[in-house]
Amino acid sequence: MKVLNAKSKDLKTISKLLKESLNNQPIEVQNASHLHGLAAGLKHGEVIIQGDAGDYLGVLNAGATIKVTKNTGSYVADNMTAGTIIIGGNAGYGAAQYCYGGIVVVRGDAGNFTATMNKGATIIVLGNVGAEVGTYMLDGDLMVVGNAGENFANYLIRGNVYIRGEWESLGHNTRLESLDEEDIDKLQAYIENYQFEATPEDFKKIVAASEKPFYH
Amino acid sequence: MPVIGAFCVSVNREVCINAHMPGKCATCAEVCPHGVYALDPLSGEMRIVNYNACVGCRICAEFCPENAIRINPAESEYVARYPWTLSTIEEIHYKAQTGEYLLRGFGTQHPTPHFDTITVVPSQIASEAPRDKYREECDMEVIIGKDTCEKPIHLKLPFVWPAMSFGALSKEAKMALAIAAAQTGIATNTGEGGLVPEEVWFARGYTDKAFSHKEWEPGGYLIIQWSTGRWGVSVDYLTSGDAVEVKIGQGAKPGMGGHLLGAKVTKEIARVRGIPIGSDALSPCRYYDVQTLEDMKHMVDFLRDVTDYQCPILFKLGPSRPYDDVAACIEVGADAISIDGLVGGTGCSPDIVTQGVGIPTIACLPPAVQALKDYGVHRQVKLIALGGIRNGLDAYKAMAMGADAVGFGSAALVAMGCRVCYACQKGNCPYGITSQKPEFRARLDPVETGHRLANFIHACAEEVKILTMLSGHSTISDLSTEDLRSLDLNTAALTGLKLAGYDRPLSFWEEGFKSISKDGNGHKRPVSKEDMALD
Repeated sequence: MKVLNAKSKDLKTISKLLKESLNNQPIEVQNASHLHGLAAGLKHGEVIIQGDAGDYLGVLNAGATIKVTKNTGSYVADNMTAGTIIIGGNAGYGAAQYCYGGIVVVRGDAGNFTATMNKGATIIVLGNVGAEVGTYMLDGDLMVVGNAGENFANYLIRGNVYIRGEWESLGHNTRLESLDEEDIDKLQAYIENYQFEATPEDFKKIVAASEKPFYH
Repeated sequence: MPVIGAFCVSVNREVCINAHMPGKCATCAEVCPHGVYALDPLSGEMRIVNYNACVGCRICAEFCPENAIRINPAESEYVARYPWTLSTIEEIHYKAQTGEYLLRGFGTQHPTPHFDTITVVPSQIASEAPRDKYREECDMEVIIGKDTCEKPIHLKLPFVWPAMSFGALSKEAKMALAIAAAQTGIATNTGEGGLVPEEVWFARGYTDKAFSHKEWEPGGYLIIQWSTGRWGVSVDYLTSGDAVEVKIGQGAKPGMGGHLLGAKVTKEIARVRGIPIGSDALSPCRYYDVQTLEDMKHMVDFLRDVTDYQCPILFKLGPSRPYDDVAACIEVGADAISIDGLVGGTGCSPDIVTQGVGIPTIACLPPAVQALKDYGVHRQVKLIALGGIRNGLDAYKAMAMGADAVGFGSAALVAMGCRVCYACQKGNCPYGITSQKPEFRARLDPVETGHRLANFIHACAEEVKILTMLSGHSTISDLSTEDLRSLDLNTAALTGLKLAGYDRPLSFWEEGFKSISKDGNGHKRPVSKEDMALD
């Protein structure tokens, strides 16, 4: 494994080093919390961020595996289209927005506006999430093991939202549905893959009440 | 959808095919976007069922095989019945019946201060002598991102096609714009609805994906739009173009996100955008992933990083507070800034917004230019004027007011054949420009239409050249407000241009700029909320 120390280096330098050496080995990046938009648009490879990460980590990720040992700033995994991003600690405001695909796992809590306009990614939060989570979700899965804040899954259009805990309030255009066998298998697979304590049957499933909720 | 204009339709029944053979011809009813005509299902007779709905687009007259239709403007009600004109009354009736507000395309309808009240000042004896259009050269090239990125854009002519999305426009219309860009060496824009694959090679002048055969010289550029809905956005999308445009707002609906009506969301559009077929595509009005100017700076950073520091980053603004907005764009590191005026608006928008929100194009430019000058980057960070630019004259005026290039949005649609029926959002465009229906799209041949668009651009370029040279310049970047005069007090007040005859700007104008730009050097944006809290 190659180690890059990002201390007092700028994004352009680190990004260049990262892309050069990504082909054959996983890369560990240290002291990267001041870099915003790190590991953007990578198509393959494995990056491990030792410690905290800045904003926009793994933005536009298109196939790389990115692991963070501690917390990330805002907008992690923004606009991801493929790949895996696993966050050991908490994720800040607006995690996993605008994603088209791939998997995001947050082992801690995630902030407000997480999974906004998700268009097909799988987003798993093992802790609690903030307000307005899952706003205008168009496809994909959102799985929250802890509790959710206000306006959960507001204006859901398509996709599935699973939550084990409670929510402060549910957003517009949502409907509770019971889990079917397919859901349980899927949740079981997530639990096994990402190794956490939960029983699929404990989850509640929220789907869209209508695909066309808007005026006009 | 109720009336938006008041025109009178008259049909010459002596030549009308349907009048002689009921049931035989229904062309007018088929093409009318507003349901003025209807075929009686029993008798087969054509009837004018809704006189008041005519907006005067004359599409029916063009399609009528016997040339039997005449359209005349109704008597000017603005004199006799204002403010209770027919259109106002019909609008209220529509709202009372349906509980819905009006939604339409194509920008403002009522008179708005525009370039028409500005005149061009030619050169005579006291100024630089005029130059000879026929025998001398005029430099019209515009370079975007000259010192900031590895692959700057060299526009051969000072024009761009502004952002109009795939979805709003048909695939064929997008291809035609790309072909025209390649033929004239200008840039086309993907808009926010994802990529039409052909755009990538057509815009560069190639007919095939492998870039092996160059059909159209000199080859143009493709600007990739990065917007709030992020429809169809991926790394490959961003890296397939020559520049990235960050959309903040647009003239049709500043402060609102893009809106594509369900009627136009076909299978293909739904696939590209990732939404259910037939559902409205509503882009958010703001970036969910940007909260502060600092975030926007980081966004520009990662966009540069993803495109390998090669592409210029452009910003597109709606008409709001041009000085501060342009200043903010400069601070976050824009290479070019498009500013769209109130008059602009190919987008589908609530009538009240397209009509009554934002400031006119001519009033956007002076503060925007002042901001560029205060930061010392005028003509370096390029300013692109959008919004109701119709010809070389408007383009020249915008450039003399300080813009480096202009965009033709609505004019491009008209050059493709549009007759301005204000119904783009319905998806029934009989010319196949703003329709997704195969039968209408088949009427638009991308190559032929691309050629029409290229002709239009060439003609406008010649117009700009004439005006530039008769005012004594040999390069468009030398144009200045000294080359213009305003014809009335209103325009002089809005733009700060010298009033014709009076030959100097209105006195309060100088004072006005001093107060917003402070010492006229290094002006900073208004204090942030945090700073205010400390006071």
